Amino acid sequence: MNIRTLVVVCAALTVAAVGCRSKGDAVPAAAPTPEAEQKFLLGASLSLTGSLAREGGLTKEGYELCAKVVNDKGGVSVGGKTLKLDIQYQDDTSKPDTAAQLVDQFNDKGVKLILGPYGSATTEAAAAVIERNGQVMADSAGADDKIFQKNYRRTFAVLSPATQYAASMVQAISDLAQPKPKTFAFISADDGFSKTATKAAIERAKALGFVVVAEEYVPNATSDVSSALTKIKPLKPDVIVGSAHVVESIAIVRQSVELGVKPLAFAETIAPHTPDFVKTLGPASEGVLGSTQWTVKTAGKDKWFGSASDYAATFSKQFGGRAPAYQNAQATAACLALIIAAEKAGSVEPTKVRDEMAKLDEQTFFGPIKFSESGQNVVKAMSVVQIQNGHAVGVWPKDSAEAPLKWPGSAPDKG
Amino acid sequence: MNQFLQATIYGLLQGCMFGLVAVGFSLVWGVMHVINLAHGAFVLLGAYLAWQLHAAFGLDPFLGMLPAGIVLFAFGYALQRGLINLVVNAPIFITLLLTFGLELLLVNGLILVFTADYRSIPTTYAGRSFVLPGDIHIPFGRLIAAGGAIAVTSGLFYVIRRTRTGLAILATGMDRGAARLMGIGARHVYALTFGIAAGLAGMAGAAVGAVNTFSPADAGRYTLLSFVAAVLGGLGNTSGALIGGLLLGLVEAWGGQLLGGTWINAVAFAVLVLVLAIRPQGLVGKAYYASRVEV
Repeated sequence: MNIRTLVVVCAALTVAAVGCRSKGDAVPAAAPTPEAEQKFLLGASLSLTGSLAREGGLTKEGYELCAKVVNDKGGVSVGGKTLKLDIQYQDDTSKPDTAAQLVDQFNDKGVKLILGPYGSATTEAAAAVIERNGQVMADSAGADDKIFQKNYRRTFAVLSPATQYAASMVQAISDLAQPKPKTFAFISADDGFSKTATKAAIERAKALGFVVVAEEYVPNATSDVSSALTKIKPLKPDVIVGSAHVVESIAIVRQSVELGVKPLAFAETIAPHTPDFVKTLGPASEGVLGSTQWTVKTAGKDKWFGSASDYAATFSKQFGGRAPAYQNAQATAACLALIIAAEKAGSVEPTKVRDEMAKLDEQTFFGPIKFSESGQNVVKAMSVVQIQNGHAVGVWPKDSAEAPLKWPGSAPDKG
Repeated sequence: MNQFLQATIYGLLQGCMFGLVAVGFSLVWGVMHVINLAHGAFVLLGAYLAWQLHAAFGLDPFLGMLPAGIVLFAFGYALQRGLINLVVNAPIFITLLLTFGLELLLVNGLILVFTADYRSIPTTYAGRSFVLPGDIHIPFGRLIAAGGAIAVTSGLFYVIRRTRTGLAILATGMDRGAARLMGIGARHVYALTFGIAAGLAGMAGAAVGAVNTFSPADAGRYTLLSFVAAVLGGLGNTSGALIGGLLLGLVEAWGGQLLGGTWINAVAFAVLVLVLAIRPQGLVGKAYYASRVEV
C-alpha cells in the first residue's frame, strides 16, 4: 500500500468515524443484561453540533441534572422496583431527518421512552416516528402548534405552546408600560415555530388596540437582519418584537445600534433568557424584554426538585454557580413528567406510561403540568423577563414578578 | 431613497467582509485546484484566537487580526506540507473528502474546547456609526473590516504580482511541471499558498468576531459564502473574491429591500447561476486556469 492510498483510506475513515459518530451509529446495541434491566432507560436525540448546538447543550444539561437528582435520591420507584435513571444521548446535528433516524435507532435498541430534541423542526420529525413505533416522547422544546395538530397521541409537551411566546410580551407591555406605546413592528425568523409565534402576537397586538406597522421575515439562523431593519427604520415603531432564535435576536439588537434604529423597547422571544445574550451584547442588551417558560419565581413544587428556587440552587451547585436558563428547566421538567408517569403506571411499558402521561395533573417546580388531548401543556402560563443590570428578571405576570418593568426599556445608543 | 442608499452602503460593507472571508478560499482553489471545505473552520479558528487574545490580554480584535493571521499561516503551512500535499494530485473527490473530514474535526474540536456558546469580541466602538446627512449610518466596526479587506486584497495582489515568491505561486498554479523545470519547489510553494490562505482566513475571523456573533456551527456558512463569492468573482485573480463578495453583499441588500428578507438566499444563488451561465469563469476570472497543464 503506497502512501497516497494510505492517506486516502485514512481520510475516508476519518470522515466515516466522525460523521457516523455525529449521527449516533457508533454506539452498538447492547444485549440487555440483568444490570441494565434494573435501569430506567430513556433516549435523548439532541442537537449537540450544528446550528442549534448551544440550545441543545442547555437541554442536555437539564436532562443530566434530572438524572443526577433522581439517582442521588435512590432512583425511580416503578412497580415495586427502584430503578436508576439512565439517559442515552445521541447527536442529531441539528437536522430533523437525523433526529427522526435516531429515534428509530433507539426503538431498535428497545428504548421506548424518549426525551425530546431541541427545537420544533426536530421535534416534529421525531414525533412522527414516535407515533409509528409506539414510543412515548416527553417534548421539552418543540413548541410549534403544528406538531400538535396531527392527531398524535404519544408526544407530550411540558412547555407552553408557540402562540404564547411573543403574544405574552405584547400582553405584558400592554399591562405594564407607561406611557403606553402605540406602534409595533415584528421581525420573525422564517421557521415554523417563529412564524406561529409572530402570527399569534400580531393578532394579540391588534386585539389590544396597537398599530402593527411592519411584519418582516428573515432567514432562519441568519446573523444579518439589516434588510428588515432598514425597511422598519423610517416607520419609527415604538416596539420591535423579534420572534427568533438566539443568533437572529442578537443581530436585531446589534444591527439596530449600528443603523440607528431606536424604538422604546426591544422584545425578543427566547434569547434574553440565554446567558449568551447579555455576554454578547453587553450594555446594548439592557432593557430588552424576553419571554420565558420559567423563572425562579414560578409557582409550584414537586418531591424531586422542590420549588423553582430550589431547582435554581441545585442547578447552580451542579454547574459551577451558573443560574439556570429556562431551556435547562424545561428539559428537566420533561424528564420529570416521564418519571411521574412511570411511577403512576408502575411500569416502564410505553403504552401504560403514555396513558398516565395523558392523565397527569401535577404541580412541579416548572409550574403545572397537564396535557390537552393533543399533548400540549395548556394550563401553564409564560412569564416575561427584562434584562436589568445584566440579568434576566421576571417582570410579568405581576404576581410572580421579581422587579417592576423599566420603561422605556431600550438602550441601543449605549452600544 | 435614503432607505435604498442605506441598504446599498451596508450591503457594500457586508460585501467587503464576505470578500475578506473568501479571498483565501479563492487563492487555494485557483492555485492548487483544491476546494478547501475546512476554510470556514479556519475563519472560526481565527475568530476564537482573537477572542482568546482579547479575553487574556484585552487585545483589540482588529489588532488581533495580525497574530491570528500569523498563527493560522503556520497552521496552514504545516497542514498542507504534512497532510494535504499527500493528496494534492488525487481526484477532486479525495481532496473534498479530506477537507470535509478536517472541517468536522476542527468544528468538533472547537465545540469541545470552547463549547457551542455564541460569542462576540466586544469593543467600545464597533457598534457606533458615522451619521451622514439623511440619517445614513456607517458602522465603525464594519468600515474598519471593509478597509482591512481592501488592504489585505491589495497586499495580496502586490505579493502575487510583484514578488518572486508571488510569481512562483502564480507560475506553479499555471503549470506545475514548467515551474519545477525553472527550479521552483512545488511542495514549498503549495504549502506557502495554503498557509497564506489560512492566514487570510484567520484575519477574516478576527474581523468577523468584532462585528458579528460566532459559534462553531458557523463554519459551514462561511465555507458556502466563500464558495459563492469565489465563483462569482472568478478564480485566478486576487481581486476576484473581493469583487464576488461585494456583488453578493449588494445582491443580498437589494434583494432584501425589493423582495423581502426570506428571498435573500434565493436571489443570491439565482445571481450565481446567472453569472455562471453567462460568464463561467466568473466576473474577473481568467479561463486559462481551466486548461492549466497537469504534470
